[in-house]
Amino acid sequence: MRFREELILRCAAARREKIGQMSDAAFNELLLTVRESPDAFVERDAEKAFAALGRAVGRFEDSVRDDDLLDDDEYVAERARRFSALAQACDKALAIDPGCLDARLVRALATQEEPDGLLAELRGLEAEVGGAGAAGGAGAVAGGGAGAKPFEELSWANVFDRPRMRLRAAAARACGDGARWKGARDAAESLLAISEKDGDPLGARYTAALAYARLEDEEGLNALDARFSQGNTWSNLARCLLLYKLDRLPAARRALRGYASLCEGAAYALLRPIFVETYLPDRPDYAPGSFEEALCAVHEAEVIIADTPDFVAWCEGQDWFRAEGEAFAQGRDLDW
Amino acid sequence: MAHNARKEDYQRLALRFIHSLDDAGPLAAMKAFASFGQTFAQRRDSLPQTDADRAFNLVAAATEVVDYRLPFATGDGAAELVARGKKLLNEAIALDPNCFDALRMRSSTELTSVSARYAYLAEEETRVREACEAARDEAVAQESDPERAGIAGDLAMRPYLRWVSSMAEEALICGRNRQSAELARRLLTLDASDISDARYTLALALAKLEDEAGLDELEKRYRGFNTARGANDAWMLIARLALAHKRCDLDGARGLLAELLRAYPTGAVALLRQNELPDGEFARIQTDAFSEDELVVALSESVVLLQEGNDRSGRGVLGTWMANETARMRPQAVAEAQALEAQIQAMYGTPQGGEAR
Repeated sequence: MRFREELILRCAAARREKIGQMSDAAFNELLLTVRESPDAFVERDAEKAFAALGRAVGRFEDSVRDDDLLDDDEYVAERARRFSALAQACDKALAIDPGCLDARLVRALATQEEPDGLLAELRGLEAEVGGAGAAGGAGAVAGGGAGAKPFEELSWANVFDRPRMRLRAAAARACGDGARWKGARDAAESLLAISEKDGDPLGARYTAALAYARLEDEEGLNALDARFSQGNTWSNLARCLLLYKLDRLPAARRALRGYASLCEGAAYALLRPIFVETYLPDRPDYAPGSFEEALCAVHEAEVIIADTPDFVAWCEGQDWFRAEGEAFAQGRDLDW
Repeated sequence: MAHNARKEDYQRLALRFIHSLDDAGPLAAMKAFASFGQTFAQRRDSLPQTDADRAFNLVAAATEVVDYRLPFATGDGAAELVARGKKLLNEAIALDPNCFDALRMRSSTELTSVSARYAYLAEEETRVREACEAARDEAVAQESDPERAGIAGDLAMRPYLRWVSSMAEEALICGRNRQSAELARRLLTLDASDISDARYTLALALAKLEDEAGLDELEKRYRGFNTARGANDAWMLIARLALAHKRCDLDGARGLLAELLRAYPTGAVALLRQNELPDGEFARIQTDAFSEDELVVALSESVVLLQEGNDRSGRGVLGTWMANETARMRPQAVAEAQALEAQIQAMYGTPQGGEAR
């Protein structure tokens, strides 16, 4: 997630709220000013906490860089330290503004190691911010409580709605990690219903595509794909898995070509998966078609791939696919 | 119900023997049949039989060896049983090239990946069906007595039922849940009494597809199956439990776990250990209803449900939850499971299945 960009939007939006009515042109002008020195516009606790969280996540990402030098035990210990530091930083952000939902979300992701525990906490947060009838109606969280907007009315265009949308995206992925595929599908579809018009910025359709594949729901995957003009790595991988599961191997082979053609190093990513760190709080913005994107898609499909025992061996049995993976490894000096 | 190779071997020869008595008078026939059991046990070769019958007898012997003795053997003993089983199956195929049970059982040692085995079974399925149907038609045509004709036809189709059963089970392991459900449903159509216990495989496949309505429908069909039991066998309860857990209805899941423990009062250790066993090659291993063994077999087939998910133990999200909850409900079983684990490790040298918490 782009903390800085969103901080700028938040500061500008907060300023507009303070001033009152403002034309679009004036708001764009304001945005330009904020962009030059966002820190000068951080006034409310909400933005202070958000900025603190952004810095903490940045520190976390920076600290990952030297991991290659560590042996396994050191790495495990270092990773645990890093997550614990992040959780503490989230607590600090929450001390500034207890309503900072993103800090609650990142904290949950940093501390809950098991899918069941994570999902329970995320669902608890959703109930807390979900408005009428939800638990914790006092509304400690921004936009939460009894007067909260129903989820269906949230919009990506409103920067203050975004944390709840990110929470739903994380819940959808936690469902998949916990082998709850209808839960994953429904959460992703509910998010897509409100974010599709803004181009699905959280990639809910990726999670949905994988869920349809695991549920072997071809109609569902077709209907999902039909809503978008462009394919994507997740959907191609999902299609390939689905067809393999349905034992339609010639079609699965074609889908594998589609998957391989869309991303650099896609074959390598599937045949020699590389560890992908927990999303904090959402999927990093990698360039479409990049190797990193393929790694993310494979990472998110991991549970389904493990549940389809001979799938990777079948992929590797396609000579051209294996050759592509090997060539990529040589080109990038990666292990094969 | 369940497939029983010994019983089927007996039925085949009994039927052929009765057929051979048709020309004798009813009294002579009755007298002759009175000694059939003893002759079957002691002088089997003197009874009228075809090469297919002889081949099936070898299948029954191989079943004894690989399904019921091999799982308890270690080291050299195990290797010897494997070799003996293979030899019996090869002999069966040499006697009857259409001995589909032997071909099917042998394929599992020759094809090591489940998907290769599935592909083999799928490829041959039509041929097996056609051959079994032809054998059935021939057997039925030879019998003047309609009751006997029914039994003969039924016996002729059994190898095909087992063929499709294996396909359904392999498909489930391959992650081809829709196919597995389809194959299990086909079995229920072919044999409404469900001698293959295809409903168990179907329950697991439907749980994998999170198809609650399908499971409800299956439960309604239970009455029609030739079984005295309700829909509270371990497979059905585990399928229901998995769905409750997937819905995050943990109270519901706990209730179903308690029901499982009521149905299988000595089952706590099995629920903690969740062993993965080799599947029966002839058919699902025979166990008594609601015995601990039955639960062990059901749990082993349920690993597709138990072991899914991204939990840290690698044991699976549902498997971990089930072990933890069982330990909470039956704390005294934890030590028992650990002791059993230590005992098995001492015997076999390697850890078997999941460790008790």
